[in-house]
Amino acid sequence: MSEKEMNTTSTPDSDGFRRSGTTKPVETAEQKARRAQVQANASEAQRIENARQKDRELKNEQSASTASEGQSAPAEVRMPRYDPKDPYKFPAQMPSSADSMIRSFDPADFPQPKAKDNEWRYLDMDEISEFMQPFTPTNLAQVSVSFEDGSAVPQLSDKQTSRELGVSFGQISKNEYPAGSVSKPVDLTAAIQWQVTQRVYWLNITSNVEKPVIIRVHSNNAERDALHFVITAAANSHASVVVMHDGLAHLAEGMEISTGADSTLNFTSVQQWDEASKHVGTERIRVGANAELRHRVVTLSGNFVRLRMDPDYAGKKGFLDMLGIYYVLPGDYAEHRTMVCHNQADCKSRVIYKGALDGKGARSAWVGNALILPTAPNTDSYELNRNLVLKPGAIADSEPQLEIENGDIIGAGHASSVGRFEDEQLFYLESRGVSEENARKLVVRGFFEELINQIGVESVQTALMQRIEERLAKGESAAMTQVLEDK
Amino acid sequence: MAEVATNVSEQHTLEIRGLRAGVQTKEGRKEILKGVDLTIHTGEVHAIMGPNGSGKSTLAYTLAGHPKYEVDGGEVLLDGQDLLKMKPYERARAGLFLAMQYPVEVPGVSMTNFLRTAVTEVQGSAPSLRQWVEELSTEMKRLRMDPKFAQRSVNEGFSGGEKKRAEVLQMELLKPKFTIMDETDSGLDVDALRIVSEGVNHAKDVNHFGVMLITHYTRILRYIHPDFVHVFADGHFVRAGGPELADELEESGYDQYLPEGVSESAQA
Ligand SMILES: Nc1ncnc2c1ncn2[C@@H]1O[C@H](COP(=O)(O)OP(=O)(O)O)[C@@H](O)[C@H]1O
Ligand SMILES: [Mg+2]
Repeated sequence: MSEKEMNTTSTPDSDGFRRSGTTKPVETAEQKARRAQVQANASEAQRIENARQKDRELKNEQSASTASEGQSAPAEVRMPRYDPKDPYKFPAQMPSSADSMIRSFDPADFPQPKAKDNEWRYLDMDEISEFMQPFTPTNLAQVSVSFEDGSAVPQLSDKQTSRELGVSFGQISKNEYPAGSVSKPVDLTAAIQWQVTQRVYWLNITSNVEKPVIIRVHSNNAERDALHFVITAAANSHASVVVMHDGLAHLAEGMEISTGADSTLNFTSVQQWDEASKHVGTERIRVGANAELRHRVVTLSGNFVRLRMDPDYAGKKGFLDMLGIYYVLPGDYAEHRTMVCHNQADCKSRVIYKGALDGKGARSAWVGNALILPTAPNTDSYELNRNLVLKPGAIADSEPQLEIENGDIIGAGHASSVGRFEDEQLFYLESRGVSEENARKLVVRGFFEELINQIGVESVQTALMQRIEERLAKGESAAMTQVLEDK
Repeated sequence: MAEVATNVSEQHTLEIRGLRAGVQTKEGRKEILKGVDLTIHTGEVHAIMGPNGSGKSTLAYTLAGHPKYEVDGGEVLLDGQDLLKMKPYERARAGLFLAMQYPVEVPGVSMTNFLRTAVTEVQGSAPSLRQWVEELSTEMKRLRMDPKFAQRSVNEGFSGGEKKRAEVLQMELLKPKFTIMDETDSGLDVDALRIVSEGVNHAKDVNHFGVMLITHYTRILRYIHPDFVHVFADGHFVRAGGPELADELEESGYDQYLPEGVSESAQA
């Protein structure tokens, strides 16, 4: 197949801000009005149906055009062109992880969720329902930012320092570019979060940022709150960003991450919530051409944490490397969904999620999907989930999915397991004189350390390993002895 | 510590009597060891040679206490203590060491962390840091191992030869009374084989352990000289002799020890 042709016909141009580099793009009044108009469409159902119809037409056209070997498309094939001034003109061209899935800023577009829906099947609807209806956020969650060494990250308005340090941070309006520029909300919780959010924060990375940026979200309140973050990394930029969550919160959080061509972004989100906290997060992620996004998620605590990530690509040769770990305590629930959409040629994705469930009533779910669209030849994708059940009575669900709509790929693989301990590893350590208990400790520690070491931000790594050591030392008498008794 | 741990005159005995063991497979229970008898004393090297699939690794794993292999009968005594009643780590602490044919990768657990934990548990107390660092670096140098290996995860990403060196390193540090080497020679080039063999010989000179040297080929016996050679086939010993038996096997191969009509090359 002709890649060149694919590229020009089916690849949307990169968003304006990516091409313009360091200049801050603002949505024009015309764009804003048009978007408002699209959103306020009289019949939403009709609009979705139209979108689906367009999608089908587009798919047909694409396959028609890729089948033809000629340099120019045959006359009867009408190729819709992406219009950067009107990104929503062809909703079907906004990449989606499945055709049947709804993408919308309007909660009304999503059907009433049912417990048996694929999206919600692992969790307890009672625990998430409060995020499925509109609410007024308290706006009490504190958001602060600094470099790893504690020094200040420039404000968006501080143009000169921003240019010097290659990054700026601050609040923007929900209608202001780039808010809402990466795809659209992917489920009802995301649409509600977008609807009710009053605070949108933008981290604008424009060049090489020497020191890691730490964003802290801290809350002391169990009333519902909502936040939205937008992280943009310009072409050729390099940066490390960590978002740390802690305290007591019932938080709906949206995140948009988009990276420009040839950029490298290390992104980590850490969940270290207090016991009674709930966190429902959705991330829409777009990886730039030839860019590398290292995406890490560490969920160590929180009564109910559900994070859904929907990454896709803006151009060829993007590399998305997703690593996640979760350590779920008794009575807690942690769900991670990685819904990778390969919509561009020559891209690579790696998804490795590992969990440990510590005790009775600890529940986790991982759902990983790799959707490889017809527009993504030479895709190389792999997803893996491993769960370690430290104590009986914990439940780990693991569901790797693969939808391959393109025969011309390098590889697509997945693996998942739910086990107690790796017997071979334990035997190896024990055969060297290490007690069962210490062998387990070494393995669990290693299980986490392996991923934590890849965060790439020393102080965060050290702090997280310390947390895990503490937990292992504490769990030793409870969880570990239980394991020994159970054997 | 190295000086006090082993007394040159200390004599130990490992006795295997009528050992029978098997494994659960999807097709049901499989008998592998069908009555193994062998006695090894301190300082002796017993080469155990046999065709692939005869049960050599199973013997090694069963002695070390791998949970997959179920013992059906017999006994294994180390100085009269029944090893079969012990957990794997207790056997290691009693003085048994197994250099595995396929050393296991343990991601995230660093070599140093693991080795220090193991040495501490086997000896019952932590070696002083200074002494430890010194000993580790001396032994690694002897095996021509890059010091960087100490910081890497246990066996992870090690080449075949590097894994085998790491096994011998552990043998040096843990100072067992008896060591089982399961095809430590396989996958080693000539240089690596020499270095690994020298490491074993050195450890044996210092610690005077008894060796059960499992091998398929006679190659390693040019470096580690056996006192006895045993032929192992179909789950038990079928012949015993001196070093000259190895030469005979080199000439004639294992075909005579295999069931009628089967040849080693056909089996592989
Ligand atoms: N864990 C196991 N599960 C099933 N079969 C096994 C297992 N371990 C060994 N076997 C079988 O037992 C026999 C002996 O294997 P092994 O002890 O590895 O032989 P050797 O080391 O002499 O090549 C072989 O037929 C092998 O397939
Ligand atoms: Mg073997």
